[in-house]
Amino acid sequence: MEELLYQYAWLIPVLPLLGATVVGTGLITFGEWTSRLKRVNAALVLTLMGIALGHSLALLWSQAQGHPPYYWSFTWAVAGPFHLDMGMVIDRLSSLMLVIVTTVALLVMLYSDGYMAHDKGYSRFFAYLSLFGASMLGLVISPNLVQIYVFWELVGMCSYLLIGFWYDRIAAREAAQKAFIVNRVGDFGLLLGILGFYWTTGEIEFERLAERVGDLLTTGALPLWAATGLGILVFLGPVAKSAQAPLHVWLPDAMEGPTPISALIHAATMVAAGVFLLARMMPVYEHLPGTLQVVAWTGAFTAFLGATIALVQTDIKKGLAYSTISQLGYMVMAMGVAAPAAGMFHLMTHAYFKAMLFLGSGSVIHAMEAVVGHDPDKAQDMRNMGGLRKYMPITAATFLIGTLAICGIPPFAGFWSKDEILHVVFAANPGLWLVGWLTAGMTAFYMFRIYLLTFGGEFRGLAFGPGAMQVEELAHMETHGHAAEPHESPWTMTLPLVLLAIPSVAVGWVGLPFANYFEHFLEEPASVLTVGADWAHFDWGEFLVMAGSSVGVGLIGITLAFVVYGGKYTGVEPLAERLPKLYEFLVNKWYWDDLYEQYFALPLRRLARQALETDYRIIDGLVNLTGLVTLVTGEVLKYVNNGRVQTYALVILLAVLGLVLVSGWFS
Amino acid sequence: MTSSFPWLTTIILLPIVAALAIPFLPDKEGRTVRWYALVVGLVDFALISYSFWQGYDLNSPDLQLVERYPWLPQIGLNWSVGVDGLSMPLVLLTGFITTLAILAAWPVTLKPRLFYFLMLAMYGGQIAVFAVQDMLLFFLVWELELIPVYLLLAIWGGYKRQYAANKFIVYTAGGSLFILVAGLAMAFYGDPISFDMRELALKSYPLALQIWCYVAFLIAYAVKLPIFPLHTWLPDAHGEATAPVHMLLAGILLKMGGYALIRMNMGMLPDAHALFAPILAILGVVNIIYAALTSFAQRNLKRKIAYSSISHMGFVLIGIASYTTTGLSGAVLQMISHGLIGASLFFLVGATYDRTHTLILEEMGGVGQKMPKIFAMFTACSLASLALPGMSGFVAELMVFIGFATSDAYSVPFKVLVLLLAAVGVILTPIYLLSMLRQIFYGPENEELVSHEKLIDAEPREVFIIASLLVPVIGIGLYPRLVTSMYDATTTQVTALVRQAMPKLQAPVGILTIPARQPTP
Repeated sequence: MEELLYQYAWLIPVLPLLGATVVGTGLITFGEWTSRLKRVNAALVLTLMGIALGHSLALLWSQAQGHPPYYWSFTWAVAGPFHLDMGMVIDRLSSLMLVIVTTVALLVMLYSDGYMAHDKGYSRFFAYLSLFGASMLGLVISPNLVQIYVFWELVGMCSYLLIGFWYDRIAAREAAQKAFIVNRVGDFGLLLGILGFYWTTGEIEFERLAERVGDLLTTGALPLWAATGLGILVFLGPVAKSAQAPLHVWLPDAMEGPTPISALIHAATMVAAGVFLLARMMPVYEHLPGTLQVVAWTGAFTAFLGATIALVQTDIKKGLAYSTISQLGYMVMAMGVAAPAAGMFHLMTHAYFKAMLFLGSGSVIHAMEAVVGHDPDKAQDMRNMGGLRKYMPITAATFLIGTLAICGIPPFAGFWSKDEILHVVFAANPGLWLVGWLTAGMTAFYMFRIYLLTFGGEFRGLAFGPGAMQVEELAHMETHGHAAEPHESPWTMTLPLVLLAIPSVAVGWVGLPFANYFEHFLEEPASVLTVGADWAHFDWGEFLVMAGSSVGVGLIGITLAFVVYGGKYTGVEPLAERLPKLYEFLVNKWYWDDLYEQYFALPLRRLARQALETDYRIIDGLVNLTGLVTLVTGEVLKYVNNGRVQTYALVILLAVLGLVLVSGWFS
Repeated sequence: MTSSFPWLTTIILLPIVAALAIPFLPDKEGRTVRWYALVVGLVDFALISYSFWQGYDLNSPDLQLVERYPWLPQIGLNWSVGVDGLSMPLVLLTGFITTLAILAAWPVTLKPRLFYFLMLAMYGGQIAVFAVQDMLLFFLVWELELIPVYLLLAIWGGYKRQYAANKFIVYTAGGSLFILVAGLAMAFYGDPISFDMRELALKSYPLALQIWCYVAFLIAYAVKLPIFPLHTWLPDAHGEATAPVHMLLAGILLKMGGYALIRMNMGMLPDAHALFAPILAILGVVNIIYAALTSFAQRNLKRKIAYSSISHMGFVLIGIASYTTTGLSGAVLQMISHGLIGASLFFLVGATYDRTHTLILEEMGGVGQKMPKIFAMFTACSLASLALPGMSGFVAELMVFIGFATSDAYSVPFKVLVLLLAAVGVILTPIYLLSMLRQIFYGPENEELVSHEKLIDAEPREVFIIASLLVPVIGIGLYPRLVTSMYDATTTQVTALVRQAMPKLQAPVGILTIPARQPTP
């Protein structure tokens, strides 16, 4: 029975793929008819994802019971002596990821039924969601780098399609393209890194690659600098996918997609794929300390960068997006100090509470749209919100839980995982810890800023206090809303929020510092989980100092947020008053986008134009003018003018055909 | 297994003979003739599939289904046909694409008899190019297949069709003279005097002659493939052609260049190939980057896709230059894959043009709202073209990359340079393709366009054509062995041949040599 479970594990990604294919084919062949079957499509997709969830849970349970990892592969491509295998690996890491992805995906799908209910692209949305689910599940069971790359690009494609889901919106169209291309820049590095590793070791499968790299490094056949370089090239993939600096610029823009997508793809699962890849590559990276240094500092810098920009966001989703960037920075930093269990732990807790926060923001936007109309600029602007706790208590309560979790307040999930990261990072390099600690303070501040602006105080709507909006902004404001007050969302939307609140509170308890089931689960495969509370080796003093300092800085942040935003919102950002230069800098997102525009996009466009000019004027001209070609052109052009050349050509054709048939064929 | 029935001759002649009957068809409105052409196309495709199914042994790298009849013994011309792993998939592709192109030509109303006559003549001519095994005959059919294309361009093209058609014929016919010269030189060198390709391949030529012949062939095939800087006929020709002709140009004609490069330059002149391979790799990189840039700057939709074809053909060159089975296999797969993807993209460009009546990207915009199906299909084909995994283009490019990375014929810096620059193409391709999608389909509707054009969504015929093309694209992407197994024996053999003449590098031990791969458990 248990073996059957493993043998049929390939069904987990294939089932959602099937759902996507059925709905997708239906849409393209019988468009109208299929779209009208709204709920039927959704039910199909949900059922298939539900089965995948059940299967994943069974696999996770079996792994926890100490079942050895299961490998399966087939030869995918052959060319002479070369062959490339694809397949799947079900071990503790992949079974954990399977459960994370399927649970979040299922809840997001359920939520989408409510959120997208009035959208004419309802069925298309579920087809894309299902396709994404399939790709993501395929990614986490990949046994080698090439297969990771395959699904890596596929999830990127789904992200592209879903960011551009509302393709009539200008912002969505720009954001979709930006996301794909920035990710391709990362994939460029990943591809070269994979090729380089294959070239030097002949391996793409993680364990054997690690072994081989170790051997080659000890014999000196592979210089350390080359291996470090290849490691960094591979890391470029996660830099783009997990929105690390300097390739983070696509993620905030990606919020143009429907909010369930922001929750599933751009917060919980796809963007965490980079962290997952780092965990998979960890056996290789352990040989490459230089690469790990780069990884750690990239993560730390990104955590800091994301948090600073999040301080000044006015769009609720953009604020959460920068918070995601910052939290992903924590995970990458943990990977950089070779603590994959800590990084994965935060990945798991973050997946749940951040998905919930995003879904909560979606619920808020849904409510706001009823008042201010379907304009993302208005419905997502926190300056227009306020006091929503009164109108939507479930959303507010769950959002508060998520906020407390991300701020690292015990006993919520985020506390345990963030603390674990800060703990391992401190042991490796106090400099990194300091960055992480400061970021924790900022996190608490900006998250409570979001919470208070949205749910605290009184509802402002469009008629809020003076100065909160520019006069010219107010001038072209029209209210399309049909309700005077926001209202709580339907149960299909609030139920996922409530369900996600449970892990947001409790999932951290599997990784208590004194009884760390999680770390044991990941780091000692194929063993039964027998962790008791290990009081003997537990250093209370150290724990209290570390936890105390991070909770302390969190509380300072929260207090500051209450001081600034606790009262009536005046629309004035204190930072803009006190330090206008810094505020400008943060509002302009550290000028990253402008830099890219100036030093990448513009020169590329200019270069392309020049290439085309060259092609028209020089290459074409030169070749046309060369030798024989010129002569023949002259000859032919004589006939062109009187149009007889067609007749000639036809005659020649017929003559030759005649020759074929008549002359000597039967001789 | 080889039955005595002349399969290949039948396959080549059936469409041509059928074409000759077109003038006598009773047809007033031009409706019978298109059904007639379609049925002929289908029957021929069925014959191709059946004969390969029955008579082709996948495990043998040799020529199969061979037929040889003396034709004009006075000048030593033989009707000699046969297929090996290199030509067999391309013959299949030809049958498939041409039949779909006939279906794509459904709305043609101008001179339908002549149009379908030429399409059927093309059908036979193209297959002949891939199947003939006699150098002189090859030259003849190569020339012969140009004339229908010329007429199809000159009569049914856009406004600048005459210029484009002339440029096409001048470039390709001019280039093909070099085939004749080199072919004659090789035939008359040494003993025996023969035009038979197999015998030509067995002869050993002095290096100087090899180099001259290699250059001559390279010029001819560089025009066809095309290779920078001999590519400029292609944007003009593609910019003016109608969709069905487009499908043939991009789907099949370009592949003749790659096919002949492998068959002749690699297979007959391995010593010269050893000298020229690095140049091919460089030209491949130039093709990829240069054409991607020009495509990005191009505002005309047809020309944009035309340049993208040039860019994709760069991978064929790098694969040919790689000296590995993997690379060569990737090159062949890239040809097949681009045949399918290029044809589908050009068909969609035509379908879009039928509705918007403009090819200038700035004059479109927001078209996706009225034409969601075309939008979806265009997106799928563009993603296939930018080598999205799960589709054939990715497998082909990956194999070329792996082949070149594991090649032992080049120094480390050279390999790093080529790989790095080729991978830049991986970034540039989505930039121009997604920009194109964005400009055509995304955003608010272009009011001027909507005001005077009825934007009707795709009809079932169009969906069917794209579906037919996408099924093999996705099939190959999911399980490439479906197709690579068709030609693996032959590419392995060709690689072994060129590797005998490969320059031996004094390699530093370590990262240059490929360490032996442990057997997979």
